[in-house]
Amino acid sequence: MAREAHPALPEFDYIKPKTLAEASQFLSEHAGESRPLLGGTDIFVRLRDGAWKENKFLVDVKGLDGTDVLTFDEQTGLTVGAAVCMNRLSSFPAVKEHYPLLAEVCDTVAAYQLRNRATVVGNICNASPAGDTVGACLLYGGILNVFNVGGTRQEALNTFFVGPGKSVLKPGDIVTSLQLPIPPKGMIGKYLKLNRNNRGDLAIVGVTAAAYPNQDVPSGVTVRMALASVAPTPLVVSAIEDYFKQEKLTSDTVQTAAQLAMDSCKPIDDVRGTARYRSLMVRNLAKQALTALLEKM
Amino acid sequence: MTIHTITCTVNGESEVVEVPAHWTLLQMLREKLGLTGTKNGCAGGECGACTVMLNGAPVNSCMVLGVECDGATIVTVEGLVKDGQLDPVQAAIVEAGGVQCGFCTPGVLISARSLLDRNPNPTEDEIKEALVGNLCRCTGYVRIIDGIKEAAKLNEPVVIKE
Amino acid sequence: MTLAETKKLPSPVGESKTRLDVIEKVTGAAVYTDDIPFGPGLLHARVKRSPHAHAKILKIDYSKAEALPGVKVVVTGEDFPKRIGLYLVDKHIFARDRVRFIGEPVAAVAAINADIAEKALDLIEVEYEPLEAVFDPVYGASPEAPLLHPDMADYDVPNYIFPQAGTNIANHFKIRKGDVERAWEQCAAVVESEFYIPHVQHVPIEPHVAVARWDDDGTLTLWAASQSPFAQRNLIAKSFGVSQSDVRVIAPLVGGGFGCKAGVTMEALPVAIASKVKGRAVKLTLTREEEFFTNFVRQALVIKLKMGCDADGNLVALKNTMYWDGGASTEYGVNITRAGGYNSTGPYFFPNVHTDSLCVYTNHPIGGAYRGFGMSELHTGIEQTIDMLAEKMGIDAVDFRLKNCVKGGDIILTGMTMHPTGLNQCIEKAAKAIEWGKEAKPSSPNKLRGKGIALMWKAPSMPPNAGSSAEVKFSEDGTVTVSLGGQEIGQGAFTVMAQMAAGVLGIPYESVRVRGPLDTRYSPYEWQTVASRLTWSMGNAVVAAAQDARDQLLDLAADHWDEEVEDLDIVNGKVISYKSEQEMSVKDIGIYGLPNENFEGWKGGPIVGRGSFMPTYVTNLDFETGQGDRAVVHYTTGAQAFDIEIDKETGRIEVLKSASAFDVGRAINPELVRAQIEGGFIQGYSSAVYEQMLLKEGAMLNPSFVDYRIATAVDIPIEHHVDIIEVPQDDGPWGARGIGEHPMVPTIAALANAIYDATGLRLEGPPFTAEKLYLAMLDAGLVE
Ligand code: FES
Ligand code: FES
Repeated sequence: MAREAHPALPEFDYIKPKTLAEASQFLSEHAGESRPLLGGTDIFVRLRDGAWKENKFLVDVKGLDGTDVLTFDEQTGLTVGAAVCMNRLSSFPAVKEHYPLLAEVCDTVAAYQLRNRATVVGNICNASPAGDTVGACLLYGGILNVFNVGGTRQEALNTFFVGPGKSVLKPGDIVTSLQLPIPPKGMIGKYLKLNRNNRGDLAIVGVTAAAYPNQDVPSGVTVRMALASVAPTPLVVSAIEDYFKQEKLTSDTVQTAAQLAMDSCKPIDDVRGTARYRSLMVRNLAKQALTALLEKM
Repeated sequence: MTIHTITCTVNGESEVVEVPAHWTLLQMLREKLGLTGTKNGCAGGECGACTVMLNGAPVNSCMVLGVECDGATIVTVEGLVKDGQLDPVQAAIVEAGGVQCGFCTPGVLISARSLLDRNPNPTEDEIKEALVGNLCRCTGYVRIIDGIKEAAKLNEPVVIKE
Repeated sequence: MTLAETKKLPSPVGESKTRLDVIEKVTGAAVYTDDIPFGPGLLHARVKRSPHAHAKILKIDYSKAEALPGVKVVVTGEDFPKRIGLYLVDKHIFARDRVRFIGEPVAAVAAINADIAEKALDLIEVEYEPLEAVFDPVYGASPEAPLLHPDMADYDVPNYIFPQAGTNIANHFKIRKGDVERAWEQCAAVVESEFYIPHVQHVPIEPHVAVARWDDDGTLTLWAASQSPFAQRNLIAKSFGVSQSDVRVIAPLVGGGFGCKAGVTMEALPVAIASKVKGRAVKLTLTREEEFFTNFVRQALVIKLKMGCDADGNLVALKNTMYWDGGASTEYGVNITRAGGYNSTGPYFFPNVHTDSLCVYTNHPIGGAYRGFGMSELHTGIEQTIDMLAEKMGIDAVDFRLKNCVKGGDIILTGMTMHPTGLNQCIEKAAKAIEWGKEAKPSSPNKLRGKGIALMWKAPSMPPNAGSSAEVKFSEDGTVTVSLGGQEIGQGAFTVMAQMAAGVLGIPYESVRVRGPLDTRYSPYEWQTVASRLTWSMGNAVVAAAQDARDQLLDLAADHWDEEVEDLDIVNGKVISYKSEQEMSVKDIGIYGLPNENFEGWKGGPIVGRGSFMPTYVTNLDFETGQGDRAVVHYTTGAQAFDIEIDKETGRIEVLKSASAFDVGRAINPELVRAQIEGGFIQGYSSAVYEQMLLKEGAMLNPSFVDYRIATAVDIPIEHHVDIIEVPQDDGPWGARGIGEHPMVPTIAALANAIYDATGLRLEGPPFTAEKLYLAMLDAGLVE
């Protein structure tokens, strides 16, 4: 039946812990009925829609240790605190300089005022297959710093997603930041997103592509691609990387690679588009994205 | 239901507000502070009618909890008029005819003000991009965009003539 | 001064005055219904809705909800036996016995806050027995379909709506002109087509909201976001069995209407709930989701057309069969079907016409008025078929239209004689703006390029005797307040009325006030703010009221100066005599009158000008033939055109140029006219490329802005050229006609014709999404 949403947010209590330990403790003690709160842009929408009826608490982790940091280090790369909103991230000079693809993808999410609240870490934690920023973070080799009263750990993004809306996170886990290593020298990237209208939509399909010179592969260039909205989880197309180990990026190989991208995705029909259209658009957008890389190289 | 007491600055006035934990900033402004200029068009972060300035940046006030605003500075459409003078974005949108039913207008004005704050000379595309989150069903946007272009040229507030 | 004769426009009529309501709107001071404070005693209502498209209600148990602390009342259909409806009285406020669409109100709760009301909804248990449902109007009209309103024969209905008892057809409107079957033989070319125009929503940014309070003396006050306070007063009074004078509807500014706040929609719900908690104000606000799936919709249309012309390219015959998906109630929709019928040729002259316009009950949401009142849907079919026929004849689509479009003096499909119209000029202007006929190459091999044009006509669709009234009153300082009952829904009605009043009275525009809220206790009567009728109908009433006040002022001055009224005038707020060259300010006489010589008594008194207007010349149409002397008051006509490219890799449309030209009779405020054309065009464009209520087994799959996309600032065409044509109307103030709805009427068709020009493809119907276009191009072998 058609969705029935609340007029506003359903009742819950708001918890503002003083330390990560306190927050994690609370979240694990109230597993299933509490959630960490970052920008809230996704949580609020879902709560209004009547999802998570068992939710009783939102635990605000903004401002806790490390969640506000945004730093760049020539050795270790970029650290993006969980509470750093997309606008702050995309206008950060080091991001523009060293991670331009990240800035590009952030600016395609929803609208400016929402990006003042929405966070990349939140986008990742939702584990939505449609997340615009996830592909770039995957291609940059992102790692999440996860705090838990039981101990901190790191989770690599490429093994983080389990299914639509599902990740490896467990109760009590708080992602404090995202770590992106220094990108390979000469890395270039492109994000192409198909909206139903011109901007601000959830992606019908999203294609993130990146390439960098690499003497370890016969072709001399590594090419990677991630896809949004065409599989149960954000998808890195390993077939592309394999293909371009041998092949050079040319207008001919782009065609074959685009076909590979199409063959590797498993889209579904939903209100935003049919599986058939999505597959074909993966092919066409992959071709455009790879061509854009070719032109930049 | 927990009620929190928070302190914040709204349109230059310091306010102490008792707000239930699950209330949005939008509800708090409208129902606790009587600032009904900020509108509720969807309560879901999509229409932009509820856009206000929070610590200098525009946000959808339906996507922020009231209690999260403890210590914050907020500007709503009611705060744009200073000393009886219209903000240039208000004056220019009036002049351009960018108002019809007016329901999107408060959010549009905050988005416009914020755009000009961070980018005093925006291109037409930058203006449109800044308005993606403000739905208007009446005007077709043309006159809103024209108004913001003009506002960028006016840097002085404009005396309300009526 | 008689209006039809006034050729020269008095200032400020015809000038682009700044809107009266704009300062309050940009400062946040403007009050909309949701902004009115009601204090802590206010009760908040939420509605329990049907999850079934068609089902019998077996049992409703709300005992648990009633017991929840904070809940003040729970109501169900049992409490409200009477039906309600604007034309066909077929709707219960809450479902009784059976539900007919997903989202239909079944019960409601009022509680001390919305959270408690929301919780109480979950405690109401309803048992249903699902029934076979109807989702296709063509099937619904067939004898096999289950009857959705078995009692239809007993419903109240005006004598120009024709329900067919024992079927799901709630109105069958016919045109029989000439002999269509024999006419095909005279045709050199005949084309047939079929289109489907899906359901769309109005999407005002302000959701519906209403607050009701019944007092112990039996009076009702209703505050509502409303285009129709008087129609609401009337329908609610009838449904609740009280006097219209005891129902007070207060309607502040409206945050967008487009037809969805006309008639009575959700407003009856808080009225019903409040009737069980006397003395307490009860507020109901629709969520955006409810706004999408429970509210009146633009009904879907299946249109089947057959059209032919002779060897010279003169249109000869049209057969038009329309199945309107009326939804669960057709109380308003029956008249859309009627409008579809009496306009069913589009703006063309055909000697032979055979039309069946059928309003069919289905288990979809209820159809209601939406900007254009059936005309976008109708013209989407007609205007594409005109192109098909022109192509078949090898005649240029613009030439074909210029030759066949309706002209002053034509006897149109209903037998009415067409008044003078500037449609030809509209066609020429729109075509010129997009450089029609000039070859245009695509900007890249990845694009296809095409141009298209479409025309429109539309008359105000309303009861034949829909009336307007107005009052003009002076203040001590010579300023004037105009009271009226038509609503400011963004179109600028208050501003235009002030211009008219100022123009007639001879006082500065700045001296006139027109302000809401409308209040049926004090505001003069107005039928509804719909049908693009205010500038014309309410305008006529305001002009009459201003004229009445002016006459009183002049009589008084003439008496005082002992002169003839003919020698006097009012200029810039002063009564002047051209003969004696005396003058006096209206402010000195508007309220206090004038003393006789030596103060031996006084003459005059507070000036109150009153005026009303009602068309008296519209006739009913014959049930069998649809013929009559004058089906409607008049037609606004116009044209739109597109020059577009389609991306072969995604199917996306990019508009290179677009153009609108409309004949508004006389532009009282040219910039406001342009603003209507611009905004309406984008609304039409949005419906052409993005919008559709995705209904599956009656359930809306996309009831939010996330998945029901409307045009944003980045989606609008780069260039939209607007021309205003002025061929004056005999029954309009200074010749003015309405323009509120018309700009979105031809948009879908004009775009469809451009798509055809680019691709050779005609899609079944809008929206022309990138996906639909791409897959169609793929299947046609245009892309790989
Ligand atoms: S009300 Fe906040 S975005 Fe619509
Ligand atoms: S003016 Fe009505 S929504 Fe923008």
